[in-house]
Formats: sequence, C-alpha cells, structure tokens
Amino acid sequence: MRNNILLLALIILMFSGCSKFLDRPLENQAQATNIDYKDLSLMYQPVSGVYRTAASGTFAKWISVAIRSERSDDIEPGNDDAGQVAIHNYQSDVTVKSYWGINDMWISMYSVVLGANSALDELEKFGKNISASDAANLKLLAQYQAEVRYFRALAHFWLCRTFGAVPILGIESNDPTTLGDASKSSIEDVKKHIIEEMDFCIANLEDASPAAAKRVGSVTKYTALMLKAKAAMDLAGNDNGSAYWDVVLESTNQIINSGKFSLFADYYQLFKKPGKMCNESLLELQYSDFGKSTGDIVISGGPGEEWGNFFFFQGPENTYSSVITGPGWMVPTQKAVDFLKSRNDSIRLKTTIQYCGVNGDPATYAVTPDGDTVSGNASRKKYFNGKSYFPRSQMTPDRVDYYGANNNIRVMRYAEVLLMNAEAKIRKGQNGDAQVNEVRQRVKLAPLSQVTLQQLLEERHAELICEWWGERFNDLLRTDQAAAVLPGFVKGPSDYIPIPQAQEDVNPKLK
Amino acid sequence: MKKKFLRIFILFVLSVITHLKIHAQSRIVKGTVTDDKNAPVIGATIGVKGTSIGTITGEAGTFSLSAPAGADSIAVSAVGFESQVIAITPGNMSIHLTTSRTKLDEVVVVGYGTQKKGDLTAPISTVNTESMLKRTTANPMEAIQGSVPGVQVVTNGAPGSSPNVRIRGVGSFNNENPLYVVDGMFVSDISFLNPNDIAEMSILKDASAAAIYGVRAANGVVLITTKKGKLNMKPRITYNAYVGIQKPVNVLKMANGEQYTAFSLGRKSTADSGTVLLSVQKFGGSGLNPSTSTDWYDVILRKSALITNHGIDIQGGGEKVTYSVGLNYTYQNGILNAVNDFKRYNGRVQLEAKPTEWLKVGFSAVFNNTITNSPNNSAFLDAYTASPLFPVYDSTNVNAFPVKFTAASVIGRSDDKNPMATAYYNYNNSKGFQILPTLFVEASFWRNKITFKSQLSQVYGSLLGTQYRPQMNLGPGPGSTVSHLTSTQERTTNYILDNLLTYRDSRGASHWSLLLGQSTREERWRQTWAGADNVPNVKEAWYASQGTPNAAYYGENGTRNAGISFFTRGTYDYDNKYLLTATFRADGSSKYQTKWGYFPSVGLGWVISKEAFMRDQKIFDFLKLRGSWGQLGNDGVNANAGYAVVKTGNSTSAVFGSTAGASGQYIPGYTVNRFYTNISWEVVTEWDGGIDFEMVRGKLSGSVDYYNRKTTKAAFYRPFPFTYTTIYGNWADMVNSGWDVSLSWNDKIGELGYQIGANMSTLKNKVTSLGSLPSSTSGFPEWTAEFPNRTVVGQPINYFYGYEFTGVYQTQQEVDKDPIAANYNQSSSSPILPGFPKYKDQNGDGVLDDKDRINMGSYLPKITYGFNIGLTYKKFDFSAAFQGVSGNKILNLNRGRLYKASTSLNLDEKFASNLWTGPGSTNKYPSAYAIGQGWFKVSNSFFVESGAYLRVQNIQLGYNFNVGKVAPVAMRVFATADRPFIFTKYNGFTPEVGTNTSAGYSVSGYDSNVYPVSSSYSLGVRATF
Repeated sequence: MRNNILLLALIILMFSGCSKFLDRPLENQAQATNIDYKDLSLMYQPVSGVYRTAASGTFAKWISVAIRSERSDDIEPGNDDAGQVAIHNYQSDVTVKSYWGINDMWISMYSVVLGANSALDELEKFGKNISASDAANLKLLAQYQAEVRYFRALAHFWLCRTFGAVPILGIESNDPTTLGDASKSSIEDVKKHIIEEMDFCIANLEDASPAAAKRVGSVTKYTALMLKAKAAMDLAGNDNGSAYWDVVLESTNQIINSGKFSLFADYYQLFKKPGKMCNESLLELQYSDFGKSTGDIVISGGPGEEWGNFFFFQGPENTYSSVITGPGWMVPTQKAVDFLKSRNDSIRLKTTIQYCGVNGDPATYAVTPDGDTVSGNASRKKYFNGKSYFPRSQMTPDRVDYYGANNNIRVMRYAEVLLMNAEAKIRKGQNGDAQVNEVRQRVKLAPLSQVTLQQLLEERHAELICEWWGERFNDLLRTDQAAAVLPGFVKGPSDYIPIPQAQEDVNPKLK
Repeated sequence: MKKKFLRIFILFVLSVITHLKIHAQSRIVKGTVTDDKNAPVIGATIGVKGTSIGTITGEAGTFSLSAPAGADSIAVSAVGFESQVIAITPGNMSIHLTTSRTKLDEVVVVGYGTQKKGDLTAPISTVNTESMLKRTTANPMEAIQGSVPGVQVVTNGAPGSSPNVRIRGVGSFNNENPLYVVDGMFVSDISFLNPNDIAEMSILKDASAAAIYGVRAANGVVLITTKKGKLNMKPRITYNAYVGIQKPVNVLKMANGEQYTAFSLGRKSTADSGTVLLSVQKFGGSGLNPSTSTDWYDVILRKSALITNHGIDIQGGGEKVTYSVGLNYTYQNGILNAVNDFKRYNGRVQLEAKPTEWLKVGFSAVFNNTITNSPNNSAFLDAYTASPLFPVYDSTNVNAFPVKFTAASVIGRSDDKNPMATAYYNYNNSKGFQILPTLFVEASFWRNKITFKSQLSQVYGSLLGTQYRPQMNLGPGPGSTVSHLTSTQERTTNYILDNLLTYRDSRGASHWSLLLGQSTREERWRQTWAGADNVPNVKEAWYASQGTPNAAYYGENGTRNAGISFFTRGTYDYDNKYLLTATFRADGSSKYQTKWGYFPSVGLGWVISKEAFMRDQKIFDFLKLRGSWGQLGNDGVNANAGYAVVKTGNSTSAVFGSTAGASGQYIPGYTVNRFYTNISWEVVTEWDGGIDFEMVRGKLSGSVDYYNRKTTKAAFYRPFPFTYTTIYGNWADMVNSGWDVSLSWNDKIGELGYQIGANMSTLKNKVTSLGSLPSSTSGFPEWTAEFPNRTVVGQPINYFYGYEFTGVYQTQQEVDKDPIAANYNQSSSSPILPGFPKYKDQNGDGVLDDKDRINMGSYLPKITYGFNIGLTYKKFDFSAAFQGVSGNKILNLNRGRLYKASTSLNLDEKFASNLWTGPGSTNKYPSAYAIGQGWFKVSNSFFVESGAYLRVQNIQLGYNFNVGKVAPVAMRVFATADRPFIFTKYNGFTPEVGTNTSAGYSVSGYDSNVYPVSSSYSLGVRATF
C-alpha cells in the first residue's frame, strides 16, 4: 500500500505545471500581435510590403502580362497554348473559361487587393497610437494609406478592364467570411470607385514626381492623377459630350502644369538602363540585383519563379546566348511591324521590333543595335519585343541568369499623359496639337496640325505599341472599333474575358 | 525501507548460491520436437518442471538444456499445438506434438499491454512475420502489402522511399498514414527498421482497439515489438541474407522517332515542322524523315540494379537476464543511371534483467544510419516528355561543359530538357542517423496482480543533407551557371514518458483487468540550412564558407508539439464466453486552440461456441460475435497559429531607388496573413461488428467485419475566391464504410502441406457535410484549373470533375449535326473538325458549359484484395502472394501534360499509334491536330482511366536442410521473385499512384509518377546456429 501511495505522489508530481507545457505559441511563426505599433518608425513597413506584393508575382507575372498583351493586334502568343490562342482570338467559350491562365491572372491581381487591405489594417493599428495633435505623423499616416489604396485601386482597375464587372474588395474583406461571399459591382461602379479612391490619394500623396520622391519610385500625387484620368477616360467612352472628359483634361493638366515631368530624349534607351526611373516615369515596378552577379535578386516572378521573369518570358529563342534568351513568347505581330513601317516611324520601329535571325530562319542570325547576336528559331518567329529587350552590355557584369535583371518595368509614362490630355481637348473641340507634337518630336516625326481624333488614336497606338497594359485593346473597345479591326472580335461576348470557372465554383455569386 | 533492502539482498545471495548448486549437479537433456507429420517444430518452448529453466527449439526442432538432477519432467508447448508434459529420459528424446484445435490462446500485443486472441473484442490483425521476411523489400510496410484485410499499401519505386498506408479508407484530407508504435515510441514512419528487426506486428483497426491511443488513433495503429530474448534460452544466432537484382518493370513504351514525327507534323504548327526539319539537318535523315530516334527511358535506366540485405541476429537469456542483438545492412541501388542509391546500417540491442521476483528493468535501442543519394526525379518526367528527335550527346555543342549533352534548343525544343543531363547534374545526398532508445522499469505486487511500469522512449535523429550543382553550361550559347551548394542540418528530438498501472484478477469464472495510464510526450524538430555560390567541385570543400555566401541562402525552421494524456482500459469476461472491453483516453495537445479531447470506446464479445447449445454441433470449432463503438482522434491536422502571422525580411520588402545610376535598395517591409481560423483535431466515430470462426477441425478459419467510420470536423484547406491562400479549418464530415473479410485454409495431403489465404476489403466513402461551402474544388498542384477534383455532399471525397468524353467526331456531317459543336464553331477560331473529341451534353441544352461537368470517378478503390498460397513438401516450401485493387480511377496526368504544352511533348506509344487518322479509324483517341486545340483542353474523362490491377507480389521457393551432425546448423536457401508481373489496363508505369503532398495538402489519384517500379529477383540464405 505504501508503494501505491508513493507512486501516486510521483504521478501527481509529474503533472504539475503541465498547463504551460501545452500552452505555448507555435515555433518560428511571428505573431502580428508582437508588432510594436507604438513605434511609428515601423509604420512604412506594411506599405513597403504592398509595393513588393505589386512587384513580384502579381502585376507583372508572365501569364497576366501575356493575356493583357495578346488581347490586341500588336502581340500574338508565339506558342500554341490553346488558352492564349483563344484569348488572342477573342473567344469566350469553355476553352477560355476553364483556362488556368485567366484564373491565375484573377488571383494575381486580387492578391494585390488583399495585400493592400491587410496593410490598411496594420496602418490603422499604427494610427491608433498617433495623438490627435501629432499633425506630422497623421499626415504621414494618410500618405501611407494613400500609397496602399493606390495599388488596391490599380488592381481593381486592371481587373475591371479585363473581366468587366468584378467585386470591389475593401478592408471588410480581411474577414474571410465576407471575402468568400463577395459579389460583383458593375463596370461603371468600379471605375467610379477608382476615381473616388484617387481623390483621396491625390489629396494625401507626396507632391513630387516618382523620380524625385522621398523614396525614389514611390507613387505620388501625379501617379494618382493619371489613374484618375484613365478611369475617367473609360467612363467617358466614345461620347464626346461626357463630363468625364473634363475630368481627364483637368487631371492631365495638373500633371503637365506641375512642370515636374518631361519626355526622356532617347525613346530607344527609355526602356533600357539609361531610362530607368527618369522624369517621364509616373509608375515603374522596381527591381534590382543590387549590382551583383549572383545572390539575392528581386525579379517580377514570384518566389523562386525564374520563369516568371518579365524580360525572360518575352526573350527570343536564341542559340547564340544563354543570357539573351527566353521561350520566344509574346511576339510582335506582322501587323504591328507593318503599321510602324507604313508611317515611317523608324525610331519606334527600332525600339519595339528586334529580329530573330533573318525571317526567323534557324540557320541565320541578326545583331541588335547593342551588338547582341540573336538566332532564328524552329518556329520561324521573326521578331521579339524590343521594349523588353535588355542588352547584355547593360546587365551586371558576369551575370548569366535572370535576363533583364536590374531593369524596371515601365507601367505609366508621361507621354501617355500628354496624349490623354490631347484626346480630351480634341473631343471637347479644342486643339491638342502641342501635346501630340511633343510626343512625335521625341521620335523625330514631323509635327501635325489640327490633329483629329483618329490621328490621335493612331499616335497612341504607335507610342504605346507592344507595351503590356492593354491600352491598344482598350482604345479599340472604348471607341467601338474593335469589331472592325480585330478578327474574331464579337461585340458583347468578346468585350471582356469571362470570370474564371474556378472562381465561380467556389463562390456562385460571381456567376 | 532499509530492512526490506537487507531482506532482498539476502534473498539475492541465496538465490545465486542455489543457482550455482543447481549447475553443479545438472545434467543435459536433449531431444527433437516434431509434429504429427514428423516435420520439426521450430520455436517450441521447453521448460523444466518445477524450475524456471527453459529453452526453445531450433530450426531442426532440436533442443538441448541442462536440467537439475532432481527434475523429472519437461513441459513442451508451441503455438498451434497442444501442450505436453513428458518425463525426462536419457539420450535423444523424441517428442510428438499434436495440432491444437485452436489458435486462440495466442497472445496478441494490444495498446499498452497484451491480450489473448480469444478474448479480443476488436478485429486486430497480427502480421505473420515469417511471410513478411519472404519479401525482398527495404521497408517493412511494403512487405505486408496485400496480406492484411483493410490495409491498403501503395508503394513507390524510389530507393529509400516509404509507402502510403491506408487503414479502412480515407477519413481525412490530411495525413492518412497510421500511427506506428515501435516498442512504445510513436513514430510516423518505420523505414528505419529492417523487416528482420520485427518480432511482432499488430494492426489495430477499430475503435475498441485503437481508442486507447486517443488523438493519434483515427488512421489506425500499427504496433511493433522488436525482437527480444527469452529467459533461459540457449543463445541462438541467425544469419539472414539475400542478394538480388532489380529490373525496371512495365516501362512505358514511348513513341519512337517515326511515330513522334508523324504526331508532331499532324499538329500542323510551324514550330513542330521546324523541329522535324532541324533534326534532319543537324542529326541526319532526309526531307521530313529524321533518322534520330532516342529512347530516353532506355538511356536513363539501368538494365539491372543491385539490392542486397544481410542480417545477423543473436538472442538468448539466462535465469535473470535476457538479451538480443541484431545487425543489418541493406543496400539498394536505384534504377536511374546516375548517382542514386540507398544504404542503411541498423543495429538493435535489447537487454532485460529481473533482479528480483517483483522487479524488471529493461533497455533497448535501435540505431540506424542511412545514406541516401536521391535522384532528380524530374529526369523521369523529362524522359517522358522529351522529343526522341535529338541524341543524348552532341560533339558540336562546343560551349557545353563539363559534358557535351545535346541542347534540345538546337532543334527548336527550348522547353525540352536533356533527360540524361537532368539525371547527371544532380547530387542530393543525405546522411541520417537515428537512435530510438527505450528504458523501462516494471514492478509487480500482490502476487503479480498489480504491475506498475514506467517507460521512457525517445527518438534522437540528425540529418546532414548536401545538394551540389557544379559549374556547367548546357549550351548551345556561351556563359555558364556558377556552382551552388546547399547544406542542410536537421535534428529531431522526441520523447514519450508512459506510466502504466495494471491490475489483473479473477474470481471463479470471472476475469477482469484494469489499466490506468498517463503519458507525456514532446516532439521537436529543427532545421538549419546554408548555401553559397562558386563552391569548388571537391567534396571536401563543400562548406558554405568556401564559396560566395548570400543572406538569402540561409534559413532556419522548426516545430514543437507537446501532449499529455490520461487513459484507462477495463476488461471483463465471464468464463471466456462473455467479453467486455472499455477504454477511455483524455488527450491534451499543444497544437490547437482547444487543448483537451476525450475518446471513449466499448467492445463486446460473445463466444457462441462455448454455449451449451453449441456443444453438439460439428460445424464450428469456434464462433465469436463481436461489436464495438468508439471515438478516435486525428491530430495529423496541421498545427495552426490561431493568430495572424507576419512575414518579414527581403521577400516582403520592396526595392526603391532602382534608377539609371543606382541599383536601389530594400526598404524593410512586412506582410500579414490574417487568414486563419481556430482549429482542432478530427474526430472519427466508428462502429464495428464482426464474426471470428474456426471450422473443420481448425483447418478453416476466418473473420468477417462490417465497419462504419464517420469523420467529423475533418480539416481541409478551404478554397476562397480571389486568392490561392486557403484557410485550413475543420470544415467537413464524411463516412467510410465497408466489409473486411479474411479466410484461411490449412491442410495436408500426404506429405504435401498447403495453405490458402485470402482477404478482401470493400470501401465506400461519402462526404456528409461541408458546412456552409457549396462545394470545394482542388486538385494536383499547378493543375487544379485543368483537372480539378471536387468535393460535394453525398459524393466521395475529391472525385475527378469534368466533361464526359464519349468518342471522336468521325465526319464533318457529324460535327454539323451536333448542336454543341455547331454552337462552339460559331465563335471559335479553332473550330471542331472530324477527329476532335465528343463530350456529352449532360443537360441537353445544346451548349457545353460548366453544368455539363460530372463525377468522372474516384481514386479510392472499391475493393482491395490479396491472396496467397503456400505449399510444403518434405524439405521444400513454395509460396506465392498476389494483391490488387479494383473500382478506382486514375487521372493520367502524364498524358495530361499535353494540355499545358505549347509544343508537342512526346506521348506514349499506344497513344501515338492509335491517333485518329480518318473516318472510322478510331473512336477512342482524337487526332494529332485536335490534341493541340482548345476544344481538347478542358477537363474530360479521356484522361480518367481504370486503376484496377492484380499483381503477383511475391513468389518464393525454399529448401531446408541441416549441415553438420553434432551441432547441426539449420539452413534454408531460397529464391525469390518480387513484383514479377502485373496485370492492368492502365496506360502508365504503375497503377499504384501515390499521394502528393508538395502543396501542403494531400492529393491522390493523379498519376504524375514517371518513376518505373522495379521487380527484383534474388537468392537468399538463412542459417541458424
């Protein structure tokens, strides 16, 4: 019996203090509650997190860039991926609806929205630690919120341009139940929402060009003004009488009149290292290899996604260099080449069109203006996009991978501001010659006078040709010329890409 | 206390003296034990009456022991025979045992104790370790494939890999592998054991047996006891070895150069014809007929690969001490023709002492050392997809080094990797060391009615992983990638402390027992990795500091889980006729926000054959009805933080200031994942009803069980719109039900003994609730959009979801007449043509849309079965084991890869030679052109195939003989063929499609398995001294 009592005592001894044994947080998982929200020097960190989310694996992810670009007559897939081919031909049936790429694009874009909402929640927590009298920090808080809200709005903007009516996800969608239950807003509502958001951003963002911003390359008041103008332009549509043209005009005037922006003199170099974050830039996604040939690197693909590198996936299939190379996707169309040639637009042609050997013949080669040798290929693709060509000579010495590393991705440029300004003027019966000619002059084209709407649209086409944000298709859509110009386009069904089947499957409200 | 010690000491001294005295006067007793057919009985226990002296018989049925002068008789017993007491006679005693009518006296290992088989209320399968040893597998679980009802083992071909094991279906979206308990220690995998190490293996399938393991028990429990010596056992040394070769079996024949060219040109794309032209130009041929035809599987596979195993085992025991020592060596070379093999050394030591009548202490340890060179499995995938139109090596590839492999891009196939280069440029070595020590002390009181046992079991594991890629260039362009090293260190430290109090007693015909237990456990794992570029290609220099380091190459990770449990089991029987078992376990776990869970069970048994009214019947020797109910938990559910998690560091920081003149720098950033929910373990409520019987004088025995397992709070990654981020939570309920049947017949015809065994299990899986979610789609990582699987209420978990492929359009007229084709052709840039696949318009609305998708089948087999026959004739024995499954579907993702391909991947020979070529050619395969078009690229049942198979798992022929006359050495030589044949219609390497967990969730039934399974042929020997 004594033994039993001893044993019992022993067992009891062993159990004491066991609650702490079970009640410990997980290893190696930092808790959000451990962030010191009183330390306002940390307040920019969630904002920087959003910039990174926007730069890696989302906005410039290869498949979403491809889908946006291929919905035009400037760029064709360059492969026989049925999904991309169907999108290039403006199909809207089951082939497209169940195509993985559109689902991936949807998610990529929305992940910026979700990242922004999460960051706004963080900023709110910092905000609670700012006293009402601390005007400087309150101003910073508002600026930071505006930076985050800019990216959220930009994602909604592109989503709406691609998929039409889409849900607007605000900070309430941080709660997963709300998120799982979201429903769509009309195209008009999404665009109006973007204008409202931009008004907040314009009021609170830094008054500088991105190149001169405190954190070089961050979004500023002018980046927001440009997005506002774009949203207004879409709302105005082809109606010259729309009041939204006033919004376009007023917003672009503010950018122009600020005097903080100018066109970069060399159109060819604008897309290369010398043009990085120049005064023409309103929005660039920034990348770096920190000047080193190996090691840490920031590229447009997601983590470990060399494949997703913006410059790589548009690179030519080149047997002469394992550096200047790629799968040869997103090929400039013959139509685009002919268009530039027909208007003798030689600088834009030289910048945009690079050659794969002679007519793509695999036994031949071509040499780029920067001296890189590029071969033809089995598929006999003749061209690759010169705007995403990054010469070997400009890359970090000894770097043999991540073609294009250390170059930024140009998203919004001052040239487009000038052209939007001109369009608003022309549509309102004013003269837009000055702005159009400023753009033409840079590429050594003769000035025009009494520029017509059609001439302006053609200039937009040429200036933005083969860029990646869907302007060409959108111009044709909003001016109701798509059905006439784009083979396969059917007005209505082809306007937007269908909501991905996978999305409808998890949320029937998206149908 | 002091007094007591003194008394013990005196007793101890006295006993030693007595012991010496006995030895001084002992005499040798020896003899041979045979059965009623004069065959030797191996392992019979011989005990000298009135003493604790004993031994067991060897391979020839012989024994020898020294008995005290006063002893007059010995007791002889063996499992399956009636016990006998025989007077000692001088000389060689000849003892004949008669077969007992029942095996029900066998003692079975159950959770935290043992029970007599006849008294069980639960369907516990004990594994025949003898037949397990017949299989030449490195992993013990592979050795029981097809031999235990209700246990499905899915093997994988890679050396050193572990199989997937499912007990009674799938009750979880998560970990479906059972809990393994090795000498009291919980482990998730037993690949560290050699089949030779195992003395006993019991599989607990139902709640009555498994609920004592509470929150770990839902997937079933496999109890393993390693070999131990016995008291008073003459040392026995056994040497076991086999040497064999493995040969790739069922290697899929891929299209050759000619077939590939035809297919490729049929796609009518410039890229494809460009490739054909370039192949002719570079590597020979004429016009559109390239002469190159590389069989990539032939290139990357070895013709045969070595497998060998050697083991030596020593067991014995004195009066107070028992011991056993084992050493094993296993080597398995991979069939990939590159550095890939598996080497394992393991040792086992066991020591148990009984210093006094009431005290027992013991120690055992299993050590193992493994060296695995893992292959780059993508080589197999590359071999599947690569064009046969380029050769392995190309001397004109001037820039390539160190080896001049052909660069596929020279024939315009920049997507293709050279499979041999993929296999060659891979060095992935891991050296693991693990020790599993256990230490126990057991004290008995009150005439052994009460025992207290305390056991500490531990696992210490460490691992050093080295991955190295040399500086190289695959060509054709100049410039090379720098060398890279990743070096990983891992450390596992787990322990369990069990305290068990057992009380056993009886009064009259009533017998009862009570177990009270407490257990504390902690599992810690930690990993650190470091890497560098430009590390020299010399093994001795493979340290991160020998190259260019980078902060991004360093990292650490770790987990800790802790648990505290209290449990109890009571058993009661009246006259071994009415049986009751009840268990209860309370489990506390650190993994979840809810800390405590409670798991009860109850089991009832009625031995009908003991009833008076059964006395006169001749049909049944034994008949028992069983029934059980209980609840089990599955904490294979991932731990969840239960709070928002912050990610910091370079990967969440943006670059600012990247300008023409500056490279820019990070501004520190963080992101927060606020998608979480409170999570807890899954709960399985299980009913089981069964019958055990023996008939025809014990010749026929068997059991039949019906089970119904309902999983509630099943956790899965609930998908959300807008994001790939899923929320892991307890969202679903599901039910698994079915029958487990096993039968066995043993008899002899003259000198020919034979045994036939068969087992079969059925399974029906149905999801019963998904909470508020209408349905959930998921799938194989990166293929979830093309080939989704889906879970909805009322259907099996994760069935394949898509359109029903019904045939091929043969003529344009047929296309035009079909409303869905006509509708599609109105807008499509690639219209449906003859040769295109036909899908069924399920709702008949004339449009193919999401409403026409159906359940294309489930990956779960409806029936899993196995059967075996064993023959013995004189000194020969022969056995063959078969196993198979039926009723399951496989999604052939290897063929499915054509989907995402932007150019023509290679395809299997059967596919290539059966393509539609014109009206009436085939209704089963589309045309080459259709494969490249959008209409084919929707999830459809063309890719869903039957996964049924029957495999000859093992055939063995053995011969037994003795060497030497005085101290004969029992020898057995045997020839074995493992997995020599498979019968299946499936168009892949193997219908055994494993579970993929690379995305953090498990997904089954998708065949991305391009590692051929090998068969092995070996010769072996066993000698017992």
